[in-house]
Amino acid sequence: MNLRYPAVYDLKRPIREIVTKRLIGVSQNASFREGVSKMVEFNISSLVVTNHDRVVGFMTDTDVKRAVAQGLTPDVKMERIMTTDLITVDISSSVREVLETMSKNKIKHLLVTEKGKVVGIVTLRDLEHMVRQKLETFISRE
Amino acid sequence: MRILHISDTHIGGALDFCKEALDQTLEEVKRDKYDLIIHSGDLTQGGRREQFIQAKEILSGIDIPYIVLAGNHDARSGGLSLFEEYIGPLDGVRDLGDAVVIYVNSAMEDKDQGRMGMVKFNLMRKALNDYSEKLIKIIAIHHHVIPIPMAGRERNVLYNAGDMLDIILKEDVDLVLSGHRHYPNIYQIENTVFINAGTTSATKTRCGDVNSYNIIDIDQKARKVRTIRIDGKTQAYSFPKREKRIFSDLGDRKFRAVHTANTLISESSAFLKRNFTNAMDTIKGLEPDLMVHCGGIVKEGIAKDYDEAVSYLTELKFPIVYTPAGRDINFLGYYLFPTYFGGIDQRFSNGKILFQGVSSAQYDSHEGIVGPSQRKVLLRKLRSPENLKAVFIHHNVLPIPHSREKGLLEDSGDLLRELVDAQIDLILTGTSSHPFAARVENTIVVNANSLSSVYQRSIFGNSFNIIDIYEEAIAVFEVNSLWGRRRLLGIWERNKKQENNTGGFLWP
Repeated sequence: MNLRYPAVYDLKRPIREIVTKRLIGVSQNASFREGVSKMVEFNISSLVVTNHDRVVGFMTDTDVKRAVAQGLTPDVKMERIMTTDLITVDISSSVREVLETMSKNKIKHLLVTEKGKVVGIVTLRDLEHMVRQKLETFISRE
Repeated sequence: MRILHISDTHIGGALDFCKEALDQTLEEVKRDKYDLIIHSGDLTQGGRREQFIQAKEILSGIDIPYIVLAGNHDARSGGLSLFEEYIGPLDGVRDLGDAVVIYVNSAMEDKDQGRMGMVKFNLMRKALNDYSEKLIKIIAIHHHVIPIPMAGRERNVLYNAGDMLDIILKEDVDLVLSGHRHYPNIYQIENTVFINAGTTSATKTRCGDVNSYNIIDIDQKARKVRTIRIDGKTQAYSFPKREKRIFSDLGDRKFRAVHTANTLISESSAFLKRNFTNAMDTIKGLEPDLMVHCGGIVKEGIAKDYDEAVSYLTELKFPIVYTPAGRDINFLGYYLFPTYFGGIDQRFSNGKILFQGVSSAQYDSHEGIVGPSQRKVLLRKLRSPENLKAVFIHHNVLPIPHSREKGLLEDSGDLLRELVDAQIDLILTGTSSHPFAARVENTIVVNANSLSSVYQRSIFGNSFNIIDIYEEAIAVFEVNSLWGRRRLLGIWERNKKQENNTGGFLWP
């Protein structure tokens, strides 16, 4: 199926320049409360869950809502909340590939890898910002 | 991969070209195996036909691949067309397997400064996109992107250096090779190494230096640079890639500073009062330990604007330090600023953290300067026992995106080098009205947007910064003035080396 996206996206453009290349994380042994506190402190909608600097899980604001609705207490460990099925894209992927992966999996956050290692995150909001934040120079034509 | 980086040969200058120095440098190619030679511009002294003919003859003796850029001297006397005729294209891309070199001409005919207009800028962007998956990405450009120390009248010469720096960092370029100022200088900014070559064979050297060239060894993990002077002296540098991307254990937050600039308080329509009052409400809620105002407090240095500013700012209950912009000391401002807001080089210390201000303002001018004597005074003031040190100043020490290089301090090259060498943890600046943050070696440089004036350049609107200092990291956020929404501009590990030098991290 040919997916159609708003024409404002340059679909062939690699995502490298819009990827957030630093991630806020929390240990898998930390509590749910600590994880959510970090999301509040950094005003972010997702968090990576780590085991000695290795990414083992991921938590988004949707996971937080689900956990609260299920009645999980703030003291429960992050490893019980996190998603372990990590969906990733390579940093050299194009905007089209990212949009396809997001829409196929119905997710708004994607972890970004380089040489198999998690190096950043790209969100649907980043793609929206990309439309506004054109990389251009207006110093002169020539 | 091994690159021989030469520059500013000035071939053909009767008194300016030292052929023996160039011959000695090119002997290097016979001694060792090189994959590429990059000449970062000013091949000839004056862009004349006979000089290009001589240069071509010299280049024909080199039997390994090479790339030569044009410099401002090559662009003299209509030389750019001769450059293309005798040497090759002015811009291009060289695919070297695992690596790619993108070389772009920044020289303008009969001008010493450099420029990368839209066409060339987009050529570079396209090449970076096309070769996004290369393991090693190199950009070569004659004019330096980062201000150079000891460089006299041309410390900052690339008109759109801010836009260049922005794209270089966003695209994870590994090396940027430049020349122009005849002074060798190297910085690692984030993960990019900016290498400025000295002159290989011009007689005009700076500060009594001799001719030099660089040998660069680069692979996926490390970048090693040796600056070889023809008198035999060698300096070696190694720049490992910073791999840390995930910040899980930050430790406790020890200090919060709010970093603001260009409030431009006044009764004029340039002052956005709602943005200002909303931002002040947000700042009060953040409960900062300190607010740093990097200048542009008032729109004009007149009593009416100062009265207004004092009424707003003196009601804040946390400590505030100020440094003036030119506009703050214009007119009667030279008297009003110290009367209402204190001395021009203000200082905050809690015994563990130091924020030291240094004034760069001059009246009736937007340009800033600290000057050699005040830089010495500043460095003396920074020799104090605190284990985290920050300097705040109005003018920029790094070029800022979406603005010309004019916001840079006149002696930005010198001040940046001195503060980086002194391992100062933070430099806060407040002009050019665009948020920006990057780590230069072990020093984090942060610029603040205008908090509440119509003269701002960010598509996210007026903003200020939060600098949160944790035990293990420093995080910088941009906060929208009107809505209070924040986004992370960057987070970096704390400067371990300095902590070791001061005998460990001494938080209570």
